[in-house]
Amino acid sequence: MTDLTRRKMLGVAAAGAVTSLSTSAEAAAPATPPAASPLPNQDDLRAFVALSSVLTGIAVLKLAPTVDPIQVKNQYFDAAKADPAFPTLLQMVRSDPDPKNPVATATKVMNDPKLKFLGRSIILAWYLGAWYDPKNLETYNQPGDHPFPLNPVKVISGTAYTQGWTWRVAQAHPMGYSELRYGYWAEDPLKLDAYIA
Amino acid sequence: MRNLRLLAISVSGALGVVGLGVVGLLSGAALAGSPPNSDTINPPVSSCNVTPDTDRSKTPPVATPITKDLLTSGQPCQQNVSTKGLVTSGPGPEMANLQRGFDFYSWLTFIAMNSPADGKVIGQGPRPGGDASTKWEDLQNFRPLADVMLGNGDKPVWGTRNVPDACKPLDGPGKIIFQIGEEAFNQPFKTGPLIDQDGNYALFDILMNKPMFDYIVDNGLYSKQGQQGFGDTVEFPTGSNPGKDPNGNPVPGRMGAIMLKVSYRILDPVKNANLISRFHTVDALIYFPGPPATKQPKACVEKKLGLVGFHVGHKTNFAPQWVWTSFEHVSNAPDATEVASGNLLPRYNFFSALCKPNCPAKNDTPPQPWDPDTSLKFKADYRSQVVREKMIPGFVQQEVTDLNKPFRATLKGSVWENYMLLATQWPSDHASKTDPLGAPAPTYLANTTLETYSQGRVPLASSSCMACHGNATTQHVPATASDFTFILEKAQKAQ
Repeated sequence: MTDLTRRKMLGVAAAGAVTSLSTSAEAAAPATPPAASPLPNQDDLRAFVALSSVLTGIAVLKLAPTVDPIQVKNQYFDAAKADPAFPTLLQMVRSDPDPKNPVATATKVMNDPKLKFLGRSIILAWYLGAWYDPKNLETYNQPGDHPFPLNPVKVISGTAYTQGWTWRVAQAHPMGYSELRYGYWAEDPLKLDAYIA
Repeated sequence: MRNLRLLAISVSGALGVVGLGVVGLLSGAALAGSPPNSDTINPPVSSCNVTPDTDRSKTPPVATPITKDLLTSGQPCQQNVSTKGLVTSGPGPEMANLQRGFDFYSWLTFIAMNSPADGKVIGQGPRPGGDASTKWEDLQNFRPLADVMLGNGDKPVWGTRNVPDACKPLDGPGKIIFQIGEEAFNQPFKTGPLIDQDGNYALFDILMNKPMFDYIVDNGLYSKQGQQGFGDTVEFPTGSNPGKDPNGNPVPGRMGAIMLKVSYRILDPVKNANLISRFHTVDALIYFPGPPATKQPKACVEKKLGLVGFHVGHKTNFAPQWVWTSFEHVSNAPDATEVASGNLLPRYNFFSALCKPNCPAKNDTPPQPWDPDTSLKFKADYRSQVVREKMIPGFVQQEVTDLNKPFRATLKGSVWENYMLLATQWPSDHASKTDPLGAPAPTYLANTTLETYSQGRVPLASSSCMACHGNATTQHVPATASDFTFILEKAQKAQ
C-alpha cells in the first residue's frame, strides 16, 4: 500500500513541485514562517508521526528525530489539524489496538472514504512541503476533466519546502537550497537508504 | 578518500550517538574518525575546564551552581553536555538539555577568553569597570587575521607584533593594531556597514588561536600558492576533554582550533566618557593600508573601541561542524517586543527611540558609498536603526535568558555584566551523511552587530553559522571545502 501510494504520489510530485512555484493565485504562498501556535499535545503528535511514517514509507526517526531542531512535524500537524476530518483520523490512530503496528490503522485510514483524502494531503505535505486541500484531492480523483496540474492551497513554509521528502527520495536537494558541502556534484549521491531508512 | 572519511565519521558518529546520552561526550577521548592529534599543532592541555551545566550523578540531575567560582574555572576544551538534565518532560527534553549544556559551555568560554591576559580574575582589572586587556587580545594567545594572511603571502610568525610605519608615531604600550580592509567595516557578503548612533562605522576583526594558526602555517595555507599545493582535505584540529582510551590509559585534553569574530563601536573619550565603564575597551591604532585595500590613502589614527559583539567558533569532538557561540552588548538594540511595548533602555548603540517621525527603516542597510576615511564617520546623516528579530525557538530564548541572569550576576559591577549570550549553535546530528551541516540547533542565529541584515528564519537567506560557513572554500583551483572557515579565502599571492 505504501509503495503504491508513494510511487503514484511521486508521479504527480514533479508537476506538483513545479505548480507550487507557479503563477497560480492559489499556489505558492510566500514562504514566510507560519505564526507561532501552541505546541501540539505530544501524544497526539507521536500518533500523527507514527501514521505519517507508514503513509510516507519514511522511518519515524527520520521524520521526527529525537533531537529535532527543525520541528517541521509541528507545522504538518497544524496543517492537518485544521481539516474537519482530523479529529476522526486522530481518534482512529489513538484507538489502534496495536499501536506498535500502525500499518493496519494506516490501511483503515486510506480505505475510509471520509479520511483517505486527508491521508493523501498528509503524504503530500511531508513530501512537497505544500498543503493540498483534501476536498480538492477528492474532486481531482473523480472521473472527468480536471485542470492539470492540481495546485496546493499553500506552501506551508520555507522550512517545509526545504525539508520536503521528495528531494531526499530523489537523492537530490530542493532548488535553491542544499546542505551538501562544496563539490558534492562531482560525486555519486548517497544511497536511498541513507535518506529514508 | 571521501568514502574512508565518511566511514570514519559514521564510526565516530555511532559512538557519538551513544555518547549523547551517556559518558562519551564527557570523556573526550580520541575516537576513530577524529582528525589526528599532532602534539605540535594541537598539544595536550593540562587544564581543560570540564564543568558540566548539571550534576548528572544525582537523580534527577541538579543544576551546577553559577557562582564566582566559575570565573576562575578556565577554558573548556570541549563541550560537556548530555541529553539528561533539568528538563524531564514536554516536547524535546533531550534537545533542551543539550542546548543548555552548550550555552553553559559558551559562558565558560566567554569568561575564560575575556579574563585578563595577566592572569587576574575577570572584572578585577585596573581600568574603569574592572576592565583589562583580555587573553584573546594577547598575541601569545590569539592572532588577528591581517597578521596571518599577509599582503605578500609571506609566512606569518606567531607572537610577533607588526606595526605599520604609519602607526609607529602613535604606538604605545597596550595598544592594538587594527587593519582596515573590506571585512573590517562591511558585513559578510558585502551586506553593508553598521553605523552607530554617533554616526561612526562599527568595526569588525577576526582572530585565531595557535592550533588553528599552526595548522595553517604547517600546511602552507597562508598563501594562494600554498593552498594550491595542498592536496589533502582541510581539517582543523579538534578540541577534546581529557579522558581514557579503550585500554583505560589516560588521554590528555587538547584545545583544538578556535576562531573569533569581534565587533566594536568607537567611543569618544570625552563625549562618551559616561559609557567607558560599561564596555570592554581597547586603544586601537586603526591602519588604512591604502589602495587597493582602502580608498583612503595610507594612514593611521588612534581610536578607543568598545566591544559590542563577540563570536566564537570552536572545533570540538562530536562537533566537526564546530560549535558557534555569540555574545553581544546588552545595549546594542531592542527586540521587536520591546519596541512594541515601549519597554526600552535609555540609550542603544544601534537604535534610537527619538528619531520619529523620520526613522530609517528597521534593519535597513545604509546608503552607499561605503568607504570610511580616517574619521571613521559615515558621510551621510544616517544612523542604523537595528531591531533584534525573533529567530530562535521560544524554549531556547527562555533558557538563555535564565542562564544569562546568574552569569551576569557573577560579573556585577564590572564591564562584563553588560554582555549577554544570544545562544550557541551546535550540530544536533554531527555524523549525518545526508546533512553534512549536522542539523544545526537552533536552525538560525544572528548577532545584531555582525549579521545585522540577515536576521530572520528564511532558509539560506537568514543567518545560520553552520549553513553559511559550510559553504566556505579554499582558493585551490578547483575550489575545495575549507572546514567551515572563510579565513583561508583571505590568503594572498606570494610575491
